[in-house]
Amino acid sequence: MVPLMAPLIALLLIAIFFGVVLGFAAEKFKVTSSPLIEKINALLPQTQCAQCGYPGCKPYAEAISEGEAINLCPPGGEGTIIELANLLDMEPVKLNNQHRPEQESEEGPKVAVIREEECIGCTFCIQACPVDAILGGPQQMHSVIASECTGCELCVAPCPVDCIDMIALSQEPPKKLPEKSLSEQACIRCGLCVDVCPVDLLPQQLFWYSQGKAYEKAKQHRLMDCIECGLCHAVCPSHIPLVQYYQAAKSAIHEQTAKHQQAQKVRQRFEFREQRLAREAALAEKRRQARAELAQTKSRQSDLIQAALARAKNKQASTQDIQDGG
Amino acid sequence: MSELIIILISAILVNNFVLVQFLGLCPFMGSSNKIETAIGMSAATTFVLTLASMVSYLVYQYLLVPLDITWLRTIAFIVVIAALVNFTEILMLKTSPLLHKVLGIFLPLITTNCAVLGVALLNINAGNSFVESAFYGFGAALGFSLVLVLFAALREKLNLADVPAPFQGPSIAMITAALMSLAFMGFTGLV
Repeated sequence: MVPLMAPLIALLLIAIFFGVVLGFAAEKFKVTSSPLIEKINALLPQTQCAQCGYPGCKPYAEAISEGEAINLCPPGGEGTIIELANLLDMEPVKLNNQHRPEQESEEGPKVAVIREEECIGCTFCIQACPVDAILGGPQQMHSVIASECTGCELCVAPCPVDCIDMIALSQEPPKKLPEKSLSEQACIRCGLCVDVCPVDLLPQQLFWYSQGKAYEKAKQHRLMDCIECGLCHAVCPSHIPLVQYYQAAKSAIHEQTAKHQQAQKVRQRFEFREQRLAREAALAEKRRQARAELAQTKSRQSDLIQAALARAKNKQASTQDIQDGG
Repeated sequence: MSELIIILISAILVNNFVLVQFLGLCPFMGSSNKIETAIGMSAATTFVLTLASMVSYLVYQYLLVPLDITWLRTIAFIVVIAALVNFTEILMLKTSPLLHKVLGIFLPLITTNCAVLGVALLNINAGNSFVESAFYGFGAALGFSLVLVLFAALREKLNLADVPAPFQGPSIAMITAALMSLAFMGFTGLV
């Protein structure tokens, strides 16, 4: 018994000491808000389509910060997965299109179009649209503002007459990385391209970054300053079509920034709609309360009248009693 | 003073914990995909390692030795290290939630980082004084950081390189680590 006391006491002392220190630290450095969720949310496409199984992009961002998979966003597609994987230092995974498995993921952006002659003006689609991109009123024809539509398809299901079509936007296909031709050999790091570049870039570095899709790094090495003159390609002893790689990378970067801008815009619209809904709900609540109060005062008044009537009746009855008795 | 500098250099280069003594290999492989992550991991490990070697010295000298329970040192040190790691985690969650998320499981795993426990135990074995222990721990942490950041830089390049299919991913990383280890063996005899 006695030989065990010393170690027990010692361990207990250490544990209590550190427990107290940690307790204080946890209080002092309490986390109130997490900028991580904002960072994740900024990468999501903000279509608010709920195809991930969460009610919107922000809830999904919160779920990701708690450890949810990053591949549940069909509108974002592969690009979003790669960006999220980069942010969170994870391996990019294949898109998991769980809620609409029959749909192909790589179809490009779509917009909803209402066949206006068939629309009966029920306003169901207007209520379903998360970004307020459908115009119209009750009993009146609706139409979609194409530039604001995110292609989330949330309006398709509620339409009772099936007059909403999802139409693919015709887009210039992005430039792809060149196919390896027979004449193209591996880079031998000779540096000839560096000497010849008229805008003093590092074509060989840019080639690695473009090939490995490390667009951030490529931008840091001023890929966007490349004037695509083709001199690096001309001098390359391995016949690497360098300019084609840069074009592919540039077009991917342009696509990415356009996507982010669109996401930003959509998020503003979505947040505005949320605010509007909250405001309307608050107003409705106020009106309801006012009505309830009115009804209460009315019922109180009618109570008073009832009571007065009852009193009058009692009085009448008692006088009648007296008269009967007399 | 020169004694301390020798301790520092020998811990950083000659007896580098990762590449020469092969301790703490899991964070070395696990959190070296990006330089930013590696720097964060290095900072966290440096903090824990330096403090742990100091605190464990104090615990050993002023608690375990007087009570004659030095055989309890491994458990006592683990408790110290776990508490420090927890403290680091709280700090990091406050200062950099992104880094906290990116490091993920590797942050609590500093607790079982063999380099941290190794330094504490080696300090006792070598009979280092308090200041010597602190320097040894700090040197070990600097060595760990140096190697981790170098390795992360190499892996960033590797991600872009044309690696033959059978060598892609962890295998080329292992080979790179082995080559780095060979290079660090060259420091033997420096001190």
